[in-house]
Amino acid sequence: MDPTRRGLLATAAAVTTASLAGCVGDTDAIGPYEPDGESGGATPEEMTASPDEDAVAETAIPIADDQLPVSYSLETLRGEVIDGGVPQDGIPSIDDPVFEPVEDVDDRFREDDPVFGVVREGEARAYPQSILVHHEIVNDEIGGESVAVTYCPLTGTAMGFERGGVEFGVSGNLVNSNLVMYDREGESMWPQMLGTAIEGPLEAASLREFPVHWSTWSDWRERYPDSTVLTEDTGYVRDYDDDPYGMYNPVSGYYREDSDPIFEPLRSDDDEPPKRMVLGARPPEGPLSIDHETLAAERLLEIDHEDATLLAVHDRSIDVGHLYRNPDGEAFELADDRLVDADGDSYEPDEASLERVYAYDAMWFAWTGFYPDSAQFG
Amino acid sequence: MIPVTETLPERIRARLRDTGRASRLAVGRLDALAVAGLVAAAYLAGYLWATDRLSVRSGLGSSVTVVDEPLARAFERTGQLQFEPVALVDLWVVRLLLSPIDLFVGATLAALVGLNLALAYLALVQPRSCGLGAGAGAAASVPALLSGTACCAPVIVIALGVQVSGTVITVLPWLLPLGVVLLLGSLVYVGGLVDTKNGRPVS
Repeated sequence: MDPTRRGLLATAAAVTTASLAGCVGDTDAIGPYEPDGESGGATPEEMTASPDEDAVAETAIPIADDQLPVSYSLETLRGEVIDGGVPQDGIPSIDDPVFEPVEDVDDRFREDDPVFGVVREGEARAYPQSILVHHEIVNDEIGGESVAVTYCPLTGTAMGFERGGVEFGVSGNLVNSNLVMYDREGESMWPQMLGTAIEGPLEAASLREFPVHWSTWSDWRERYPDSTVLTEDTGYVRDYDDDPYGMYNPVSGYYREDSDPIFEPLRSDDDEPPKRMVLGARPPEGPLSIDHETLAAERLLEIDHEDATLLAVHDRSIDVGHLYRNPDGEAFELADDRLVDADGDSYEPDEASLERVYAYDAMWFAWTGFYPDSAQFG
Repeated sequence: MIPVTETLPERIRARLRDTGRASRLAVGRLDALAVAGLVAAAYLAGYLWATDRLSVRSGLGSSVTVVDEPLARAFERTGQLQFEPVALVDLWVVRLLLSPIDLFVGATLAALVGLNLALAYLALVQPRSCGLGAGAGAAASVPALLSGTACCAPVIVIALGVQVSGTVITVLPWLLPLGVVLLLGSLVYVGGLVDTKNGRPVS
C-alpha cells in the first residue's frame, strides 16, 4: 500500500473509530507503542504431546529427529488460532518459481530493499521481500532438494523447511500473528515460527529447518554475485511495488519498531518495542533471544546459557547473525570480518569450526509471545 | 400513498414497485442521472483504490499483463468477498489489478450508492413539495457511507495499526453484505417517498 493511501485511510478510520469507540477495539491500542509493563494472555505450559509414529513413518515430509520445544500445550495453541481474514490459499504460495541471474535484474530493486537469502548445496538464491509479502511461501527446489522458503510479514520471520516433495500452503489462519502453514499431504497445521504441527495427522511433529537470511539487495548481490533471484513471474498478478503492511526501505507502517501488533500476542512483554528485531534460537537448553542491533554493534558475543556456552557472530557482509555452540569456551576474535580462532585459523562468519545452532530473526513481540521464558541477551 | 388496508405482502410489493418507478425516474432525468453517474464513478474508483486494486503513481508506462488461465484464476478467492486479479493494467500513472468479480462487486455497490444519491438529490432539489428533502438525503447517505467503510475495513485496520480481537476479524467480512442490504433498504425507503406520477416527491 502506498503511504498516501495508508495515511488517508488511517485519518478517515481514526475519525470513524473515535466516534465508534468500543466497536473496533480499545482506542488505547491506537497510535505508537507505550510501554506499560502489563502482561497476560495464554498460560505457558511445556508441550508434552508426541507425534504419531505411524504418521511420521508414512509421511513424505522430512521430520526432525528431535522435537522442537513448544512453550504451550497444543490445546492452548489451537484455542489461540484466529482467522486471518483470508481463505486457505487466499494468499497463494509460489509453486513454480522462476529465477534469473543477479546480472539480469537491472533496476528492479533499490540498494537497501530487503531480500531473503538461502545458500544450500552450493547454490545461493535470493527471494525479494517485495514478492514474498504477497505469497509468504515458495515451494522450491535447491540443489535437487525440495524446500519451502517461507516468510511471515506480521512477525518478520523468514524460515526454510525441508518438504520432501510435499507442497506447503497458506492456511489463512494465524496464531500469535504468525503464519499457520498447512501441508498439501495430510493438511496438518504448522505455525511457521514453531516449526511444529499443532493439529492434523502430524501434530507434535517438527519440521527440519534451515536458515533463511534477512539481507539487502546490495549486500546479497555483492556477497553472492552468482546468486539467482526470484522473478515476478509467479503465476499471479500482484502490485509487487506495493507492500500492504508498510515499507522497510525506509521503515514505515506496520514495520515500525514501536508500532503495535494488529492481533493481541499470546503474551505481552514490554521489555522491548514490539517490532524490534531479535535473533531467536531454541536449543535443548531452552529458548533465547539476542538483540540484533546489539549484536551488530558488538560483532561477537559470548553467551552463557544454562549449561551451554554459545558464540554469536555478526556477519557484516550481509548483516545477519550466526549462532554456534562453543562448549570449550574457545577464544575467537574478528579480523577483517573473518572469525579467527586461538590457532590463528580464520573462517567466514558463517563457516566457523563449531557446531551451528539454528537461529532466525523475529519481531520481539512474536518471539516473546511464543517463548515467554526465553532468556534475553544483548 | 400506500393504503393502510393492504396486507403486508401487498404493501411490500407496492413499495418495491414504487422503488422501481422512482429509480427509473432518477435515471430518466438528466440532472439526477448525472448525479448518479458521477457519484457511482467516484465511488467505484474509491472502492478499487481502498481495496488495493487501483493505485496512482508516476513512471508506470503502458502495458497489460494477463495471467495464464484467467478464467480459472478469476474464481479463486483471496478474501471473504475478494477474488484473484487476472490482469495487471498499467496506464502511465494508473495501475489497475483487474479482478472481474471484484469489479462487479464494486460496480454493484457504486450503482446502488449512485442511485441512492440520485434519489436524495431529487428530494433535495424539490424540498417544498415533499417536506422530507434533507432527511431523505441523510437517510440515503448513511448506508452509502457504511458500505464504503465496510469494503475497506480490513485495510483500515492495517492502516491504523488498531489491535483487534478475533471476534472483530470474524465480523469484518459481514460488513460488506450488510452495507448492500442497507443500501437496498435505503433505496426502498426513499423510493417509496417519491411521487413518480408528477416526477416529484410525495407531499
